[in-house]
Amino acid sequence: MAWSRKSAMFASLAVALYLLGLVLRNQQLVTVAVVLLSFLTWAAFRTSHADVSSSGRRIDDAQNDEGIELQNILAMRKVSSSRIFEDGEIDVSLRLQNRSNTSKVLEVRDRVPEVMRIKKGANYVLMELGPQRETEISYTIETPLRGFYTIGPVCVRVQDAFGLFHNEKEIHLYEDFLVFPKMEDIKDAMIKSRVPKIFTGAVNIRNPGEGSNFYNLREYIPGDPMKKVNWKATARQDGKMMVNEFEKDAVSDIIIIVDSRKISETGPVSRNSLVYSTRAAASLSQYFLSRRDSVGLVLYGDEITSVDRDTGKKQLYVLLTKLAGSMAKGNTPLKIVTNRIMPHINRGSPVILLSPLEEDPTIVDAVRDLRSRNFEVTVLSPSSLEFEFDARRLDRTGYEVLKTERDILMAELRGLGAYVMDWEPDMMLNTALTGARGF
Amino acid sequence: MAEENKTQTSDTAHLYDSTTLRSSAPSRKAAAGRQKQNTEIPIDAIPEVHVPGWVESIFGGPVISSMKFLPPDRMVTSLQLSSSITLVLLCFLTFMITPVTGTAWFAISNMIGLGFVGGLLHFIIIGIGLIGGMYGVFQRDQRALLVSYCMLIIVTIRFAGSKVEFGLSFLPEGEIAQKLLLILYAIFLVMFIELSSGIIRFSMLDTSIRTGEVYVMGIQKITSRYHKSLLIAPSIAGIVALLTLFINRIIPAIIGVIDPVSANRLRESVELTSVYGVALGTMVIFMIIAGSFAVNLPLRIQQFRDKKTN
Repeated sequence: MAWSRKSAMFASLAVALYLLGLVLRNQQLVTVAVVLLSFLTWAAFRTSHADVSSSGRRIDDAQNDEGIELQNILAMRKVSSSRIFEDGEIDVSLRLQNRSNTSKVLEVRDRVPEVMRIKKGANYVLMELGPQRETEISYTIETPLRGFYTIGPVCVRVQDAFGLFHNEKEIHLYEDFLVFPKMEDIKDAMIKSRVPKIFTGAVNIRNPGEGSNFYNLREYIPGDPMKKVNWKATARQDGKMMVNEFEKDAVSDIIIIVDSRKISETGPVSRNSLVYSTRAAASLSQYFLSRRDSVGLVLYGDEITSVDRDTGKKQLYVLLTKLAGSMAKGNTPLKIVTNRIMPHINRGSPVILLSPLEEDPTIVDAVRDLRSRNFEVTVLSPSSLEFEFDARRLDRTGYEVLKTERDILMAELRGLGAYVMDWEPDMMLNTALTGARGF
Repeated sequence: MAEENKTQTSDTAHLYDSTTLRSSAPSRKAAAGRQKQNTEIPIDAIPEVHVPGWVESIFGGPVISSMKFLPPDRMVTSLQLSSSITLVLLCFLTFMITPVTGTAWFAISNMIGLGFVGGLLHFIIIGIGLIGGMYGVFQRDQRALLVSYCMLIIVTIRFAGSKVEFGLSFLPEGEIAQKLLLILYAIFLVMFIELSSGIIRFSMLDTSIRTGEVYVMGIQKITSRYHKSLLIAPSIAGIVALLTLFINRIIPAIIGVIDPVSANRLRESVELTSVYGVALGTMVIFMIIAGSFAVNLPLRIQQFRDKKTN
């Protein structure tokens, strides 16, 4: 049983008046003190009576354990989904049962992660729960940021009517869920390998051949099948026969490198380089995997974490889970990363680097190495300068100086043959990719 | 002029059937150029940080809550009304049963030869208690309520020499009536403190409900429980106080069963009828209560009730 500030004030006042009454031989003061003490004692007696020995279990478990006798308050929680994307919503329903024979006034708070917003309903409820009764609290939370989260514990508090004393218990009932980075629909990333993999599979590379995706138009050469003739284009060319050319199908490897060093979290919590990089990596993964490419992921911060190349929906969830859990830590140079991964990836494979390109003197060397081994390097760089400048944390002079340095670095990378794009905060990923390719 | 030319060159509407085309991704440089020159930090970007004063540091947090309340609901209004009625009755009772004799201000005013000043001060203190309390109740100002509590307690601090004295001469002289009046006064004081703090508590709750911070299921049941407690708790406290104050009659009555002579001696004992008798009564009653807590009686009663139902 815990004392509130009010009960502490009452008790100290009662003791003071009692002692003062004895010293001054004043029955009036002693009477006030006795009434105050009696008042407090009654409240304490009532609060002790409202014991909250409790246990917490999941609804599914409860179905199997109906025979087990439970004490007093029981809480069971159900969430609508344990895997969700950023800006998604999770419906939570919390069932509370009062198994005792006395009715209780309960204050219930189901603890949700601080970054989550309650969109509908309330996770903090005050209620009167009758004997042998149950009730259900429902609320919806919005998930604005990627990561691993836990709902719980459930805090139950029983208080006397005057708010003098309370009993508090935490019901250790937890529900874990995962928030994946938000994905943007990419129409065409314009990133295709020039080198097909040896494994078979219907994936496009940027060379004309017998594929299914349209590549371009060309003049008819004797021997071309008539089904390939584009009659509309032929009509526009004054009788010159034009045929459709299709992209050659092949499997390609795509390597996405995400910079999760400490510097990448510069800026506001919801608008920083790492947030943008993870969202871009998620979107690109989904796009390439839907194209049946095999996608690998490398995250580097305080250590290098990699997900080996694979295809399919399962791989997408593996990549999304890794991206959801990425934390901004450490300062591993890019050169170490490239040195480690280069022997394991096919030459000519597209490598996409998502990095703010800051505080790493090895970037130019690393990109040069990749280019010299014929890797097709695309750098998408969400600029922390822009985030800082937008949040008014950087003055104009500082911004201009840093921007100039950044522009020089990017020019140098472009000079090495990499496709580089300075990704502005409000720019769509698709636009940024198009910009990187110079279209 | 230069700006005008730039605008004309970047507009491609005249080339592509009134459609403006962009040849590349939006320029970051152009965006940077559009940024405001003002580098001042906007007010809303600075988080509100409350730096505690030394008084707050001692208490480990804000002494007075600075919470803004929404207009009072029915529950709060009824509490305000009952609180104000209690306060008026309390002030009247205080004025009746608390004489100015024995107070510090009475002694000082007599020393300086202005006896009426003591009485005036006594009246002013009760007045401040009443006005401060009224203001606190209706404005829901905790500071004013605190002032009122202090004043209504300070006015009772006087040397009484174990005698029960009242401020008005027409009040009963009998011991039982005097003690009942004292208990009534004490109950009114405690009730005023409780009701006025209840105003703040329910205002906070009401504000939280209306701002969506907390959801209340079956609010009527909760408020009716509070109303019931407002009747039960003072009654219990009154009975306990009654037992305590009448210990000078209870103990001789119990002893009288065994030894009537000793019981008579006890009845005539000055100590037992004085404030020390009340102290003894307090000790006896609260030892019984402490014993019930020591054996965890509340939990045992609950377990007994649970078993009975099962």
